Amino acid sequence: MKTVINEQNRRNFAAQVESMLHDKLAKCYQCGKCSAGCPVNFEMDYTPNQIIKMTELGMEDKVLSSKTIWLCVSCNTCSTRCPKGFEVTGIMDVLREIAEKKGIVSKVEKEVQMFHEVFLDNVKSNGRIFELELVGKYKLKTRHLFRDMFLAPKMLEKGKLKMHGEKIAGLNQIAKIFKDFE
Amino acid sequence: MARIGVFVCWCGSNIAGTVDVEKVREEAAKIPGVVSALDYKYMCSDPGQNSLRNIIKEKNLTGIVLAACSPHMHENTFRKAAAKEGLNPYFVEIANIREQVSWVHEDKERATAKAVDLMKMMVEKVKRDRPIEDVRVPLNKKALVIGGGISGIQAALDIANGGVEVLLVEKEPSIGGRMIQLDETFPTLDCSSCIMTPKMVEANQHPNIKLYTYSEVEDISGYIGNFKIKIKKKARSVVEKDCTGCGECWNACPMHKNVKSEFNVNLSERTAIYVPFPQAVPLVPVLDRSVCLHYKKGGKCQKCFDACGPKCIDFSLQDEIIEETVGAIVASTGYDLMDTSMYGEYGYGKYKDVISGLQFERLLSASGPTEGVIKRPSDGKTPQTIVFVQCVGSRDPEKGVPYCSKVCCMYTAKHAKLFAHKVHGSQSYVFYIDIRSTSKGYEEFVRGTMEQDGAIYLRGRVSKIYEDEGKLIVKGADTLSGNQVEIAADMVVLATGVIPKKGSDKLAQMLGISYDKYGFFTESHPKLRPAESSTAGIFLAGMAQGPRDIPESVVSGSAAASKILGLFSKNEYEVEGTIANVNEATCVACFYCQRVCAYNAISKKEIKDRSGKLIKVVANVNPGLCTGCGACVNACFSKSIDVKGFMDDQIYAEIKALAV
Repeated sequence: MKTVINEQNRRNFAAQVESMLHDKLAKCYQCGKCSAGCPVNFEMDYTPNQIIKMTELGMEDKVLSSKTIWLCVSCNTCSTRCPKGFEVTGIMDVLREIAEKKGIVSKVEKEVQMFHEVFLDNVKSNGRIFELELVGKYKLKTRHLFRDMFLAPKMLEKGKLKMHGEKIAGLNQIAKIFKDFE
Repeated sequence: MARIGVFVCWCGSNIAGTVDVEKVREEAAKIPGVVSALDYKYMCSDPGQNSLRNIIKEKNLTGIVLAACSPHMHENTFRKAAAKEGLNPYFVEIANIREQVSWVHEDKERATAKAVDLMKMMVEKVKRDRPIEDVRVPLNKKALVIGGGISGIQAALDIANGGVEVLLVEKEPSIGGRMIQLDETFPTLDCSSCIMTPKMVEANQHPNIKLYTYSEVEDISGYIGNFKIKIKKKARSVVEKDCTGCGECWNACPMHKNVKSEFNVNLSERTAIYVPFPQAVPLVPVLDRSVCLHYKKGGKCQKCFDACGPKCIDFSLQDEIIEETVGAIVASTGYDLMDTSMYGEYGYGKYKDVISGLQFERLLSASGPTEGVIKRPSDGKTPQTIVFVQCVGSRDPEKGVPYCSKVCCMYTAKHAKLFAHKVHGSQSYVFYIDIRSTSKGYEEFVRGTMEQDGAIYLRGRVSKIYEDEGKLIVKGADTLSGNQVEIAADMVVLATGVIPKKGSDKLAQMLGISYDKYGFFTESHPKLRPAESSTAGIFLAGMAQGPRDIPESVVSGSAAASKILGLFSKNEYEVEGTIANVNEATCVACFYCQRVCAYNAISKKEIKDRSGKLIKVVANVNPGLCTGCGACVNACFSKSIDVKGFMDDQIYAEIKALAV
């Protein structure tokens, strides 16, 4: 697939990412150490280093609709090992944020995106995660009602699924964080 | 009657561990003519050498065989020891039973048998040794430097500062070479002409340097210490000693639009009478007779002559041939850029705004055609987007050359950097295959171009460049992200590969030095003798040897100079006596030997009788040039050539000793 580089668009996109990331895209060596160590790389359509290069080249559409940004589990292996100290995990966050704001729904990884939404809603209302509510809402949203059901007894046994949720004390502060972001 | 001494060395356990040294000694003692046989732990040690010397004295030896390590190690040691006892050093022979036996074999019995064989062969050889005298060649302590670029200038200055007279010959009207064409230099960004012109002036004013610009070496013969050279000083049509460099002549010249400036790489025009650039050394113009109207129209135009104050223009000046004798030569002829017109897909020569790296240097340079303002050649507009393409011609075995031109990565990074500094808000894209930035401060420099100056680097080659609505559309690939990319550029700069200077192969043939398949001069040894050519007395410097940057060129110039000063610190040059020897009585003058000699060591010699009548012509070996390689011996049909120390009868005796 050919990409025509439009200088102005490239600059705008790269500048937006850089200002949100507080890091420079040009820092990247393109050595690939991030991709080499990424535990979910096998499922990604572009490797993390490709995402960085494509962002630098202003390939906005490709990057924002990629599977990669939604598959990243933010484990930080890449950032920890990067020889240039580049915020690889950070760029995934930034790109997800831009995609979300632009309303670009990843066709392939719709469910991951939904999970993020449910997760944030959960945090917003409780200040922490209430697993049962999270699972329930996620299942309703994705309509995969019976998937992974056999995991429930195990989770119950280990005390990972509580019947009653708890709310944290400083909910107003959580609300402020969300408000600041919005 | 031969009185041979055989000395078998143990080399600790190096030899004795695998070879039964006592057996070798016993076998030696049985050979007729061997009057003494000894084995010792370390023959090269002082006690070992002393016992060798004592036995020479006691037994009055006529020849010595050392069954020991390689002659590369200690032949000289033992020769010196023998010479101290009055024995001709060439009566010492080495049977290499370490590198050729103990180190490469395991079976002790068979290794010992081989060691005995090698020892026997050398005993038979040494019986037939004749005394050989080393050859001494007188030295003319004057040096010739061919090529007045940075490496040549550095070599000339270093030699001259060492108190030796130097002739510096430059083909162009001014010295300075390629470096003076450059704008700023990586990685420090100091201005090239600011650091180069003082050196040029110093070379011009140095009492030990005689400068020949607009001159070429026409002929070279002779050998180390005694090179006879002919320099053709092309007619300048200007009397150098009277010229003040005022510029009245070139201002008056009517030919100011038609001739492309070589110095500005065709980006501007020059007059028929011209100095290539304002800082030229010497600042004396040259009249280009191929375009001058005076010569073309039968003497009608003489505007420069009329304008000249000191009346130093002389249309009748002729080429001059200067003959000199020098003792050593530095070949530093430099490089050219490849012709990239075979890359039709890049459109060099077709699109005005596709230019070479050297042309971009001239656009950047304050003394260049645009006075340092970056303007594109087609319409003079300042480009906002430039695409740089690396490896154009280099690393392309199909159309170009397979080697890396070494300087392009760095100068492209510099170009992108200077472009960002000079045109604010501009953007450069660099297509590369690999970035080679290995010297001090280079990697940081390239990273700076990317990280601070915002150049976008794309790993991949460009496939096609074409023009569309005033833009150059560059189709390339970014192999890192796996995308085909297309960039609309205002200008494209090709990092063109370097090749040896045109005509340097001819010069190499004249000098009798070897060059590789691309035409770069080859070193005597790529690692251990990098400043020497294959011919004694001829040294190499600069890009003529292969791609290198300015610091390396300076180092190589200084290296060549220090070799020459070292050579000249003695009055005579000593050559090993094992050189070819012609039997004049049997030589049939076919001169096959001359054709195979790689060192130009064989010439024709006329033998005349007392009345001066020519009797015959024979081959003659120049001891200063001969290396004793033996190629002529093999080529000789009439078996008239032998190499001293390796005569036929000796070789046959060795073979016979092995057969028995």
